[in-house]
Amino acid sequence: MASAEARIAGRRPAPSRLLLIAVALLFLGLFLVLPLLVVFVQALAKGASAYVAAICDPVAWAAVKLTLTVAAIAVPCNLVFGVAAAWAIAKFEFRGKSTLITLIDLPFAVSPVIAGLVFILLFGSHGWFGGYLRVHHIRVVFAVPGIVLATIFVTFPFIARELIPVMQAQGKDDEETALSLGATGWQTFWRVTLPNIRWGLMYGVLLCNARAMGEFGAVSVVSGHIRGLTNTMPLHIEILYNEYNYTAAFAVASLLALLALLTLAGKSFLEWRQPELRHAVAQARDRTRRENT
Amino acid sequence: MSIALRGITKQFGEFAAVKNIDLDVPTGALIALLGPSGCGKTTLLRIIAGLETPDEGQVLFDGRDATLWPIRDRNVGFVFQHYALFHHMSVFENVAFGLKVKPRRERPSRPEIRKKVHSLLELVQLGWAGERYPAQLSGGQRQRVALARALAVDPDVLLLDEPFGALDSQVRHELRRWLRRLHDELHFTSIFVTHDQQEAIEVADTIVVLNQGRIEQSGVPSEVYDLPTSAFVHRFLGQVNELPVQLRDGRAYVGPIDISPAADVSSGATNSIALIRPHEIEIGPEAVGWPAIVIAVRVIGPIVRLELSAQGLPVNEPLEAEISRERYEGERFSVGQKVGLRLRRWQVYPASGAVA
Amino acid sequence: MATPVAAVELKRPTPLRLPQRVLPGFGLTLGYTMVYLSLLVLIPLSAVFIRSLGLGWGHFWDVVTAPRVIASLRLSFGASLIAALINVIFGLNVAWVLVRYTFPFKRLVDAIVDLPFALPTAVAGIALTALYAPNGWLGIWLLSFGIKVAFTPLGIVVALTFIGLPFVVRTLQPVLEDLDKEVEQAAATLGASAVQAFARVVLPALWPALLTGFALSFARAVGEYGSVIFIAGNMPMKSEIAPLLIVTKLEQYDYAGATAIAVVMLVLSFALMLGINALQHWALVRHGER
Repeated sequence: MASAEARIAGRRPAPSRLLLIAVALLFLGLFLVLPLLVVFVQALAKGASAYVAAICDPVAWAAVKLTLTVAAIAVPCNLVFGVAAAWAIAKFEFRGKSTLITLIDLPFAVSPVIAGLVFILLFGSHGWFGGYLRVHHIRVVFAVPGIVLATIFVTFPFIARELIPVMQAQGKDDEETALSLGATGWQTFWRVTLPNIRWGLMYGVLLCNARAMGEFGAVSVVSGHIRGLTNTMPLHIEILYNEYNYTAAFAVASLLALLALLTLAGKSFLEWRQPELRHAVAQARDRTRRENT
Repeated sequence: MSIALRGITKQFGEFAAVKNIDLDVPTGALIALLGPSGCGKTTLLRIIAGLETPDEGQVLFDGRDATLWPIRDRNVGFVFQHYALFHHMSVFENVAFGLKVKPRRERPSRPEIRKKVHSLLELVQLGWAGERYPAQLSGGQRQRVALARALAVDPDVLLLDEPFGALDSQVRHELRRWLRRLHDELHFTSIFVTHDQQEAIEVADTIVVLNQGRIEQSGVPSEVYDLPTSAFVHRFLGQVNELPVQLRDGRAYVGPIDISPAADVSSGATNSIALIRPHEIEIGPEAVGWPAIVIAVRVIGPIVRLELSAQGLPVNEPLEAEISRERYEGERFSVGQKVGLRLRRWQVYPASGAVA
Repeated sequence: MATPVAAVELKRPTPLRLPQRVLPGFGLTLGYTMVYLSLLVLIPLSAVFIRSLGLGWGHFWDVVTAPRVIASLRLSFGASLIAALINVIFGLNVAWVLVRYTFPFKRLVDAIVDLPFALPTAVAGIALTALYAPNGWLGIWLLSFGIKVAFTPLGIVVALTFIGLPFVVRTLQPVLEDLDKEVEQAAATLGASAVQAFARVVLPALWPALLTGFALSFARAVGEYGSVIFIAGNMPMKSEIAPLLIVTKLEQYDYAGATAIAVVMLVLSFALMLGINALQHWALVRHGER
């Protein structure tokens, strides 16, 4: 009757517990680990030299550079926005706050393809501003600015939604103390608020960056797929793959897979530094909903 | 149903929660497991309920070995400290739960369940609250729902883990009296855990004082209070003054007062300590007894507490004495007044074992 | 039935007068937030709706009721539904195991759950295709049972399951951690079996989180493009998802068609989200706040 202890505490008797663990691990292995593994295996399928050659290809390098450039613009833009939005939402009370939070989350509910489409509708040759842009010889769509805009759109909520719960949890006591001691608003922000939220900030930047570098659908729609000019790494992978150049496709993919692993490692590190980060968003969502109820 | 524990031991990792505990709870008793946090009282209660299994020892229900019985076969009612009500169920559904999960052939019919739940809700004075949800009730009301829920399955034993710990003092006082009455009416065997000596003394027939996983002392409340067998129990049940005992010429002194004849001073203890409850210090005229000066007077409802600086004791360690309000009204002790002290009842313990 | 307290409090209006603000920067940060949000999200998104108005109702209706469009929408929403359901079942399993049990490499397993968030969708797409193609590691084995995954709607479900898993797990985990174990123990002391305790006590408490996880996973799946197009086969009427059809129409410079499909997708997704939010709201009001 070993079930006496097992029945309590939500613990199943050993056999069914093992079964549950086994099923979970099998599922994760099949759906997550195996795909990751296959990327590296395929990338090295034709040996190390083929791998190196694929990565050192100038067109591949152009894609890497473009991806880094786009992320280097999109992430800071959303960082500034995230800090501003979190400050307004976490430190003040105003009407329409929960609507604002919902609107910030909106891009998550929009297909990346539609995210690309909206910028075509605005800046494409038949778009609202198409005529104006043509006259002034400015290219947005099928050029780098369009890629940046689409990337900003899809990564829009990432930093804000990490920072809002972190700042809300911290309250405003620290800031009020700093102000009472004679600090200016900026001094308070730089010396009190920013150090308090730095882990949450890095967390948001990490996730935002991963998505910015990996975005495919939105960027695919606005890029125009000009080799060496408007192809980001994910788009370059698609082209190689469609040309049946599997080794090269997986070689470039392996770089992005490494980025993903680094992101996961960084994420785990930050969660270890500040365990609240883990579920901050889910709990904040729960709390907001309860307050609205 | 009677319960007996034989040599119960339970480790959590490195931490020994309970060590070799023997305890007999006769049928119909109301017993308090009393002790500071971490003393093992809750673990013991959970072992009886079947929520934990002991590493060693036996749990006997009416003499039968129940150590490995599954919880659902033990027929115990367990009331959790934080109620553990089912939030998504109404009060009615909460109380009916135990009846509804019975195997089909034991399960009462719907009208029977309804009747029983309603009578239980009446018993806990919540007949009006059946359709409410736990979130809509006060703490005291939730606790009564938890009790009704535990009683619904007609338990042979009722186990309560700090049942009133999370309530404010007014409600707590009321519920204590109510629980005592309920027990006297229904005659089940009850065991409750508490860290509040007042609660234990007020409610229980028998108090079992636990410390660091062992039973320090058990007995009826007045016996445990008046005749503690260890410094720990003495300190834990009520206020005490701690006085160093000096050994001179084979006799023991507290201050200038010779206490040797009254207490059994084991000859070997050079370092001893005497524990005296505040109301056991008799205050008389200056000339009689141990000279002292009143340094503070506080009137606390029916009693008056005096702080006294006694001769031979450090000034920053005053004695506390308690007298009745009537006595105070008569004698009007004031700050600075010189008085003489007499110690009525005290115990001497070796100082080394006096770790609280 | 007595009026739930929470429902009454719901009606309390926010005071009109704003409380006095001590901290600086409210106007600046809120203003910047509104401008940035409007310029980059709200105005661009509204462009889709405004453009679709220009189509005229008749044209719009013709576009979105074309058999190929209907088939793609049905596939997108259907496959997403199946994938989200798979994720609810296995996500609950994974979250439960991660919260309640200990086993070797648990932290690593916990970290790997986020892989679909971190791995670019195109990489996931080609990796899954390589696995499930008829000559892939898993495809070859499945083919021996006569099951074709890659280049069929089944492949789409596989890709969407991959994409959506972390949403369910990460939504459930904190709720499971918060779930008072004493409540299950209380059920056990009242005579409930393990299965009864799970079904009657644990599952109802998880219900809102399961719904949220389902909704997030579903919403992500409906819009997903990158991981699907490699494995789908992209046969019109058979394995062509709605986002791909939008891209196809754009490549043919059929902006009107693309816009119309986009509007239908957006409206359906938003309606679904609102519905699920309302359902959760109802559940919370009914049970009072926890």
